[in-house]
Amino acid sequence: MMNETLSRRKFLRLSAGVMGSAAVMSTAPRLLNRLASDPQSAVWLETSTNERIVPTVCSMCPSGCGMLARIADGNLVKMEGSPMHPINVGALCPKGQAAPELLYNPDRLTGPMRRTGERGAGQWEPISWDEAIQTVADKLNELRQAGHPERAALLYGETRGQMRGFLKRFMEAVGSPNAVSHDSLNIEAAKLGIYLTQGIYDLPAYDLENSNYVLSFGASLLEAGRTPQRTVSGLSYMHRGRANRGKVVTFDPREGVSGAKSDEWISIKPGTDAALALAMCNVIIKTGRFDSDFVHNYAFGFQDFKDDDGKDHKGFKNFVLENFDPRRVEQITGVPATTISRIAGEFAGNRPSVAIVPAKGGLLNGGFGGVATAMAVHCLNALVGSLETPGGVQIQRYPDCPDWPELPADSAAEAGREAERIDGAGTVFPVGRYAYQAVADRALDGYPVEAMFLYDANPVYETPGGQKFIQAFEKIPFIVSFATFMDESAEYADLALPEPTFLERWQDDYIEGLGYPGVALRQPVLEPLHDTMNTGDFLLQVAQKMGGPVAQAMPWDSFEALLKDRLQNVGTDWETLTELGVWITPGYRFARRGSEKWINEVVGADRRRAPRDGRFDFFSRELSCILGDLSDDELAALNPGASGDALYLPHQEDVIYEGGEKEFPFVLNVVTLMSLGPHSYNANLPTLQEISGMVVGERWGSWVEMNPETAAELGLQNKQQVWVESPFGKVQTKLRLVKNIHRDVVALPHNQGHKAIGRWAKDRGVNGLEIMNPASELFTGLASFTNTRVKVYAA
Amino acid sequence: MARWSMVIDLDKCVACQGCSIACRFENNTPIVSPEEAELGREMLWNEVFPLRAEEGDIASEQSRFLTRPCMHCENPPCVKVCPVQATFIGDEGIVHQNYARCIGCRFCTVACPYGVRYFNWYAPSWEEGLEQHLNPDRVMGNGDLEGPAIRPRGVVEKCTYCIHRLHKARARAEAEGREIRSGEYVPACVQTCTGKARFFGDLEDPNSIVSQLSQERRAFRLLEEAGTRPKTIYLEEG
Amino acid sequence: MATWHPKNEHEQIILAPVKQGVGRDRILWIVLASILLAGIAAWARQFVLGLGVTGMNRPVYWGVYITNFVFFIGLAHSGTFISAILRVTGADFRKPLTRAAEAITLFSLPFGVACIVIDMGRPDRVLNMIRYGRFQSPLLWDFTAVSLYLLSSIVFFYLSLIPDIALCRDRLTDVPPWKHRMYEILALGWTGDSHQYHRLERVLDAMAILMTMIVITVHTVVSWVFGMTIQPGWHTALIGPFFLLGAIFSGTAAVVIVLAILRKLYHLEDALPIGLFNSLRKLLITFTLGWLYMMIAEFLTTYYGSLPEEMEVFWQKFTGDFYLIFWGMTILVFFIPLFIFIFRAKDSIPWMVTAGVLINIGMWMERYVVIIPTETRPRLLYELVQGSYRPTWTEWLITAALFSGMGLLYAIFTRLFPIIPLWETVDSLEHEPEPERPEPRRFGERTAQV
Ligand SMILES: Nc1nc2c(c(=O)[nH]1)N[C@H]1C(S)=C(S)[C@@H](COP(=O)(O)OP(=O)(O)OC[C@H]3O[C@@H](n4cnc5c(=O)[nH]c(N)nc54)[C@H](O)[C@@H]3O)O[C@H]1N2
Ligand SMILES: Nc1nc2c(c(=O)[nH]1)N[C@H]1C(S)=C(S)[C@@H](COP(=O)(O)OP(=O)(O)OC[C@H]3O[C@@H](n4cnc5c(=O)[nH]c(N)nc54)[C@H](O)[C@@H]3O)O[C@H]1N2
Ligand code: SF4
Ligand code: SF4
Ligand code: SF4
Ligand code: SF4
Ligand code: SF4
Ligand SMILES: [Mo]
Repeated sequence: MMNETLSRRKFLRLSAGVMGSAAVMSTAPRLLNRLASDPQSAVWLETSTNERIVPTVCSMCPSGCGMLARIADGNLVKMEGSPMHPINVGALCPKGQAAPELLYNPDRLTGPMRRTGERGAGQWEPISWDEAIQTVADKLNELRQAGHPERAALLYGETRGQMRGFLKRFMEAVGSPNAVSHDSLNIEAAKLGIYLTQGIYDLPAYDLENSNYVLSFGASLLEAGRTPQRTVSGLSYMHRGRANRGKVVTFDPREGVSGAKSDEWISIKPGTDAALALAMCNVIIKTGRFDSDFVHNYAFGFQDFKDDDGKDHKGFKNFVLENFDPRRVEQITGVPATTISRIAGEFAGNRPSVAIVPAKGGLLNGGFGGVATAMAVHCLNALVGSLETPGGVQIQRYPDCPDWPELPADSAAEAGREAERIDGAGTVFPVGRYAYQAVADRALDGYPVEAMFLYDANPVYETPGGQKFIQAFEKIPFIVSFATFMDESAEYADLALPEPTFLERWQDDYIEGLGYPGVALRQPVLEPLHDTMNTGDFLLQVAQKMGGPVAQAMPWDSFEALLKDRLQNVGTDWETLTELGVWITPGYRFARRGSEKWINEVVGADRRRAPRDGRFDFFSRELSCILGDLSDDELAALNPGASGDALYLPHQEDVIYEGGEKEFPFVLNVVTLMSLGPHSYNANLPTLQEISGMVVGERWGSWVEMNPETAAELGLQNKQQVWVESPFGKVQTKLRLVKNIHRDVVALPHNQGHKAIGRWAKDRGVNGLEIMNPASELFTGLASFTNTRVKVYAA
Repeated sequence: MARWSMVIDLDKCVACQGCSIACRFENNTPIVSPEEAELGREMLWNEVFPLRAEEGDIASEQSRFLTRPCMHCENPPCVKVCPVQATFIGDEGIVHQNYARCIGCRFCTVACPYGVRYFNWYAPSWEEGLEQHLNPDRVMGNGDLEGPAIRPRGVVEKCTYCIHRLHKARARAEAEGREIRSGEYVPACVQTCTGKARFFGDLEDPNSIVSQLSQERRAFRLLEEAGTRPKTIYLEEG
Repeated sequence: MATWHPKNEHEQIILAPVKQGVGRDRILWIVLASILLAGIAAWARQFVLGLGVTGMNRPVYWGVYITNFVFFIGLAHSGTFISAILRVTGADFRKPLTRAAEAITLFSLPFGVACIVIDMGRPDRVLNMIRYGRFQSPLLWDFTAVSLYLLSSIVFFYLSLIPDIALCRDRLTDVPPWKHRMYEILALGWTGDSHQYHRLERVLDAMAILMTMIVITVHTVVSWVFGMTIQPGWHTALIGPFFLLGAIFSGTAAVVIVLAILRKLYHLEDALPIGLFNSLRKLLITFTLGWLYMMIAEFLTTYYGSLPEEMEVFWQKFTGDFYLIFWGMTILVFFIPLFIFIFRAKDSIPWMVTAGVLINIGMWMERYVVIIPTETRPRLLYELVQGSYRPTWTEWLITAALFSGMGLLYAIFTRLFPIIPLWETVDSLEHEPEPERPEPRRFGERTAQV
């Protein structure tokens, strides 16, 4: 408290004194700092003579930020965030900033090459593009003539916009169903979770700007997440951009930057998120704080119900009330019951609130439990009525593009397209749509593949136990990689046909994460540096060379022409699009519950079998339709983690770990860093390597994070070399003690330990995937990223 | 006369290091080899540091991060000690660095309490073609050298508040016969900030965003007790 | 030309090494010169490649070179201390030691200065210190003080050398002609006239005061390079006196070593009686205790103040990365020498030398432990970056070269000039002085008439 007796006069005197001494104190430093002669009286700026700014889109991660490239005297010298692009509004993360190192990377492939030596021996000879086109066209025609176009397969990585559809169309035109996305390595579990409940096969968008309360389950929203810049902007706005500050709670066994920057970080036992979400549902239902209009009028399976055959089924409400009492869930998750109740109360009481379904994080745990987790988390949104409401979950809308033209009649292709998929999605894996990593197992099991194309895909490196792809490749006589770098997979290819970097080619990108539709355009910011070819152009030319119906199906002159054609309805003309680099239709229009738009677009629109009745499934009718086809034996063979109605309701499955808990005490958690991310070539940008391990003060390599208390019990010291060993192998790296990590978990950052790519990436650190369970999940074909246990001991 | 200042809102900062790398590409700081990096010889004028991630800290507390450009102190210890005035405080409060004059004694580096000064242990180099992306801007004057121009070995360098951007903005304003507008001069790290956590402007102008933010209750300066009076101002978390 | 030289009983002994010339020292010279040359080559390499070849880093921007700088400047204090300060205070026992001590000053100062240049990132721009020199920078004070010190030491040293050069000129007739010519030139026509002696004494007295002031300034200023920053462990007013005391301490200890070597090698037992060592012993006991006092004053205040950033550095020294050096230093500088001085060193030159060597090694370590730990825990960054430092071979080689260079110059000097001042030590003889010889007058001493 202020001293009351301090009179006004005294106060004035005091402040005069203070001011007097302040005056002295401010001149004294001047004397120290200044010198009579100013060292720079005439100053001028020198710069380049010729400058231009070209808009484009970053492709270093799926955020797809808009960029402006500064070209000075013909060199790319700087990237800036495009202020027009709604995802980043002028911002750019370190990867985007480092893009010039990708363009000028000395380890890029500089032209098309054919392998001369043994596979993997690294002997290549340059060829011409014409030769490459001819070779590929001949090969595909040969397969078509043999009546087996389906023996051509294409694996592709992160790609959006027209390219994704184009790749699929090309394969279909050739006659193969085997365009396999790597979704099973990342977002497939989340997509399925949304699909089996809401009936939309896509990742939703979240209206963070208007949300009051955000729960994040194992989505590293601020470092990785699906679209990191989108979530960073949204949460930054939630915290400081508006009058009332929203709250962000992160559940994650490892704090990381996302946990650190959340308002609350709650450590959770890995693989138990479903139980946690359902315990929160339990609290919300018990306290009656759910949106009763929604659960009763726009949802299915909240109450117990009778099916058409008159059989009684358990509804979500009773299932949750009976099984997910917070005190019981405390035992499962390690999260105190009081915390669960408190967070549930806050979540229900601070609407609009939203629970974020992770892109990958805690989901890919090797059982169907990952999908069930996504369902459980999404049910939290449904329960508080946050679907299609401001501050809640939105449906991602896309720009208006015409349907691809009908494929021409082509009996060879039609037969091929009907063949079983190489990855077994929909057959071996009844619920899955892609099973990227399973391609190796299936090829080894004898599914005949005669031509394999890798587009932005590096399965040898990026899949758990990726070495098996090297064996699988032995069975495949013809492999083409379109990679920009000689990556681990391209090393085993027969043709390396480099695509220019995203800075040198035409490509479009859909804007994801904001709900409303938008398209952004990549254009060559300068002439391609090397003898590379846009894979789009390459495939178009191959189609022409193949002639016949394939050529007819792909009538465009160039990929640029294709883009012009397909983007004509997005709302602007080509000139404006190339000038601005982005076009959006801002303002998300929410559909009214039960309206036609709701039924057609928001709930149930993508369902294949269950009714598209605009009802959200607390009890998944779609899943029961899919699994209903299976005999009991077939179902049992999938080794379900739940039985009866529980299987169709969001439920908690015990993770079946590889490696016993006794021998292998830690769950291996491979995490994505802001600096490197999962994309291989990022590891070959020296600047990103330099900042890669900022979170623990490491750089240029790997480390494994462990709780200090656990380490003390094991007698391990910070920074010592350790072995991390799983039943599948072991890797040696540096131990870093990190206070805020679950005691049962060790974390290994992803995207080091490359065996190829280039000088900066090669032989640096370790790749956690080498010791990871290579199995695929049986229902869905998801990769098993989170069900490997390890032990750690001094090296 | 303007008094340039930066405000960094730690509540919004997500420790992404976008600022560090924007600075690198804007100001041509070299990449050092992994072995050099192990010695802490990286050149990132704006570094991001983890605070209390290590053993021995309070477990229940969440980790924190600090992003740190030069403070452009109004009473800069670095300037006081430089024997040749290779670092000096300009009229607009920017603490300049003159690479052509620096003798590399590293007195300033040990005097700066914020550790923001970087020494060129070797001549900077870029591997095979990477040098093509170097920013061609350079601030010249009387044979002196500032701004993103490549620095020779043996001299000290540091964050300049992207001084060349000030010159550019001013040249543009002068060409158009007007005063420089607020928002025309924005350093690279501020422009790129993913969390929109960085603000830049003129402290002298009471309406500028930095003036206003610097009045906030959350505003503080690093090592306030050291009396260096930084013009890089932070806003507390939470 | 009528020249007078005071009679000195030990003249033959003292002149013997000079008469003898290079002789078998050659091997020693070659060894020292090769180390010096190797160091110069290492430095040239460092110049071409950059300071990256050292172990310095961020935040340890200053390493062994600056340690050497401080150490050499400290060593330099020996001469000035013995000849100037003791002159001012009238401690007569100093007389036979003065030249040997001053030579240490003279030959360590240039190497101290060299350290600064070696440590510079851009030694080619050293003239910028003059072109753009800014007196607000403590480095400029250093630069000025050290230059002034070097200059005045040369003058001081040379002045007191003149009578003896003249003596060499007159007595050493069978030396090679170049050597004789050198004596002739350097003697500046000294005749030994009583006025000359009178004036010389007065000038030396006056300079002694000046030198005393400079010496105090120099090492204080050297310390201020550290003290004027606000880094923990450096930013203390005590650092000046602490450095100064340390300098005189190590300098005096160095004199012990040098004297003992000279005494043995050049058979100067008679000219350098054991009593001298006993006098130095008393001084050194005082310094050891004074040093302990400073240590306690510094660390106790730091510990009780417990400012977090200060404590980081404190613990770095006591228990952290530097504990071996810190405690080793304490043992070498304090415990063992004190034990030796009290229980062993009386009348024992070997023990004195042992202590002297330990003290000098210890004081080098002390310089190191003052400079480096602070840098490893800089004020803001101690939470963020934790520095460490391991010098590289370049730094060690250059360090060795500096010491070799100093040894080499010293060794050469002793073969050219008498290392014990002949003219100053005469009044320690039993003789009555020659009639013309001026009354030795000590500065500040009241004359009998008053
Ligand atoms: N910077 C950057 N961002 C990117 C990318 C990039 O390249 N760079 N790539 C993008 C791509 S392709 C993807 S797929 C996404 C991936 O984005 P995320 O899904 O966020 O990826 P991860 O880092 O693997 O996992 C997130 C968190 O889940 C935690 N976790 C692990 N197991 C569990 C669990 O059982 N329960 C809970 N609650 N948490 C758990 C981990 O500790 C980790 O912090 O990132 C995208 N974002
Ligand atoms: N343990 C663990 N494993 C993971 C992940 C993880 O977080 N942890 N993340 C997973 C996830 S989410 C993902 S998305 C994947 C990442 O998998 P991908 O998205 O497939 O990324 P990359 O590994 O970079 O493989 C793509 C290859 O394409 C090449 N390439 C680069 N640029 C271009 C281009 O412009 N055009 C063409 N045609 N090729 C190009 C490069 O050589 C690169 O090696 O990794 C998955 N694997
Ligand atoms: S967030 Fe992703 S898209 Fe945006 S700049 Fe960074 S890497 Fe590029
Ligand atoms: S932060 Fe350091 S370098 Fe910057 S002005 Fe202050 S003292 Fe100088
Ligand atoms: S290193 Fe350069 S800028 Fe720093 S004090 Fe020395 S001369 Fe001045
Ligand atoms: S203001 Fe400019 S120089 Fe300073 S850190 Fe930011 S980008 Fe770098
Ligand atoms: S760019 Fe912005 S959000 Fe990212 S670390 Fe820098 S200040 Fe923080
Ligand atoms: Mo991904």
